[in-house]
Amino acid sequence: MKKRFLAVLMVASMTAGLAACGGSSSSDSSTTAAGGAEASADSGAEAAAEEETKDEGFNPDEAEDAMTIEDLRAANGTEVKVASGLTLGVVEKSLSNEFWRTLEEGYEKAAEDCGVEIIVKATTDEGDETGQQTMTETLVNQGVDALMMSPISDSNLTAAVENANNADIVTVNVNDGLIAEADYYVGPEAYQNGQLAAAWISEQLGDEGQVAIVVGMAKAFAARQRTAGFKDWIADNNSGMEIVAEQNADWDRQKSKELASTWIQQYPDLKAIFCNNDDMALGVVEAVQEENADILVVGVDGIGEAYDSIRAGKLDATVDSFPYYMAQVATECTLRVLAGEEVPSVVHTPQALISADNIDADPAELINWVAPVYVAE
Amino acid sequence: MKNFYAKYKREILVLIATVIMCVVFTTINSQFMTWRNMLTVFQQMVLNSLLAVGIMFAILTGGIDLSIGCTFAIVGIAVASSCVGGMNPFLAIIIGLLVGAVLGLFNGILVANLKLQPFIATLGTMSLYRGVAYVVTGGAPVTNVPDSFRNIFNGQIGTTGIRYYVLVMIVVFIIAHIILSKTKTGDYLYAVGGNEEAAKLSGVNVKKTKYIAYIASGVCTAVAGLVMLASLGSAEPTAGISYETNAIAAAAIGGTSMAGGRGTALGTFVGALLLAVLKVGMVVINVDSFWQYVVTGLIIIVASYFEFVKGDIAAFMARHKKD
Repeated sequence: MKKRFLAVLMVASMTAGLAACGGSSSSDSSTTAAGGAEASADSGAEAAAEEETKDEGFNPDEAEDAMTIEDLRAANGTEVKVASGLTLGVVEKSLSNEFWRTLEEGYEKAAEDCGVEIIVKATTDEGDETGQQTMTETLVNQGVDALMMSPISDSNLTAAVENANNADIVTVNVNDGLIAEADYYVGPEAYQNGQLAAAWISEQLGDEGQVAIVVGMAKAFAARQRTAGFKDWIADNNSGMEIVAEQNADWDRQKSKELASTWIQQYPDLKAIFCNNDDMALGVVEAVQEENADILVVGVDGIGEAYDSIRAGKLDATVDSFPYYMAQVATECTLRVLAGEEVPSVVHTPQALISADNIDADPAELINWVAPVYVAE
Repeated sequence: MKNFYAKYKREILVLIATVIMCVVFTTINSQFMTWRNMLTVFQQMVLNSLLAVGIMFAILTGGIDLSIGCTFAIVGIAVASSCVGGMNPFLAIIIGLLVGAVLGLFNGILVANLKLQPFIATLGTMSLYRGVAYVVTGGAPVTNVPDSFRNIFNGQIGTTGIRYYVLVMIVVFIIAHIILSKTKTGDYLYAVGGNEEAAKLSGVNVKKTKYIAYIASGVCTAVAGLVMLASLGSAEPTAGISYETNAIAAAAIGGTSMAGGRGTALGTFVGALLLAVLKVGMVVINVDSFWQYVVTGLIIIVASYFEFVKGDIAAFMARHKKD
């Protein structure tokens, strides 16, 4: 009897002790997380960046010679010379995911524009790491001139990329995960994602009020960089907005909804919630609707469902990184490299915040898209 | 009263631990103990408790059902597609429950007829069902579930803020309690889990009992899937990934023995309640996300220590009787 009550007391004291320790150390550990994010590598727009890279690893958000595609065109001229008989290989993730399907359409458009053969290989699911490596090896053995790759993890294509480098095949890493060994990186700046969201929320709220952040599990670098971009914008602009809470929801819609319902009870003055991806934002939207709360919800990715939700007046905004154009930029950069031009190691692709105001606008106009000019050699 | 304590001491102890946790959270942040926040706790325990009571049936027979997270996703997709296709919402609910029952029965057949280890069998169906969810949807979520369906679960009683799905959870637990404590089927479930050979020799239809356990697991999971669908308005093929772990934790904290033969619906309920209090409480007092995993893990371990204490005392008593 006594022993059992002892056990009850143990649970209680452990809860108390850990809760207190967790509570007090939360500020410390979140600063560590932010600090770590700066030093560590970041992947692009998709939530699937799941492998951990070393902290001293490659971070396309912080490359010193990073350029946007506009800058690159200004520096190197708009015309791109295309030699005849080139073949480009593409390796990407599951085509069951809308993001990668759209990326593939972008590659098809690019192939049509430049008249180069582009072979696209995609895995059947987002977990088939070895299958993706086999595809890459096959393309290397076929002797393609360049490879554009969006690996499942930060490490599963390493061996294949080393083989490609040895065979003098130009290697370009597109979006995510990250390949430190690749020659070039083309993709959106995840940090800018958070910045765009913070700037927009600030404008909507008159730069004041409480805001909260739903993060995806922090091992994904996209999550860390998006969150860091959001927080830094608030800090750097002396914003009147206050971040009252930041919690993980594992990229899961149900979990983010539950998180948001708790927050809505706890912070009656909460004005905006920024989510690391659209899936979680759509969960938060359900909580906000249920409680009839007046809270702005902003996601990242620009998936079709997010667009529908914005049109229905539920979700407020999402940051879209336009995979259709990303693929075209990647192809253009690759062809510039093959034409012997000097191309920076990192090229950032356009992204834009989509809200009810601009949702029906042509994306090409939003990002001032100018199609590349290809000249056959 | 004494009998009640003797019968449900485990449940009472977990409840006391939960109350102590509430007091701790309230001391740190007084907002924890508000009516609205308590409602949030009850709402957030619904999914996990439904999954937990389902998996408890499988565990009682000495098995396990790892496929619940995937069954959960498939039920959501089936019902969402039916509703979006214009089907009567109540008919869609029946279809959902049937899908859950069939997927559960399939697990039951693997375990009872093919004699596969339950862990391995359901590890297989976990991947199989998840694959089916991806194949059927092509990876895309089914969206725009009509309100006619959503309101059945998601509507609230007047303006109290109590949602129907909380009542659904209570009804499921009452049914589970009655099955386990008042029916022959309940006795058979405990008998099979306690000692399968003995149960067989005393005339229990072991196969049928296992079918029932896994079907119950599938049906409870289906109810959880319905609640999730009503709550989110969309069904994703990725829904419910790793939800089985929390369900197992809730059942274990509530006193369900992983070896089978022991556990109650009430215990699983308080186990799920404890986890929900912990989850909401840590958000309210703003514990860092990283630390939440650490705390949850330690609480599960410590709460399960009860099990050890209980066994220890029983062994001690038994030794003394011999003397």
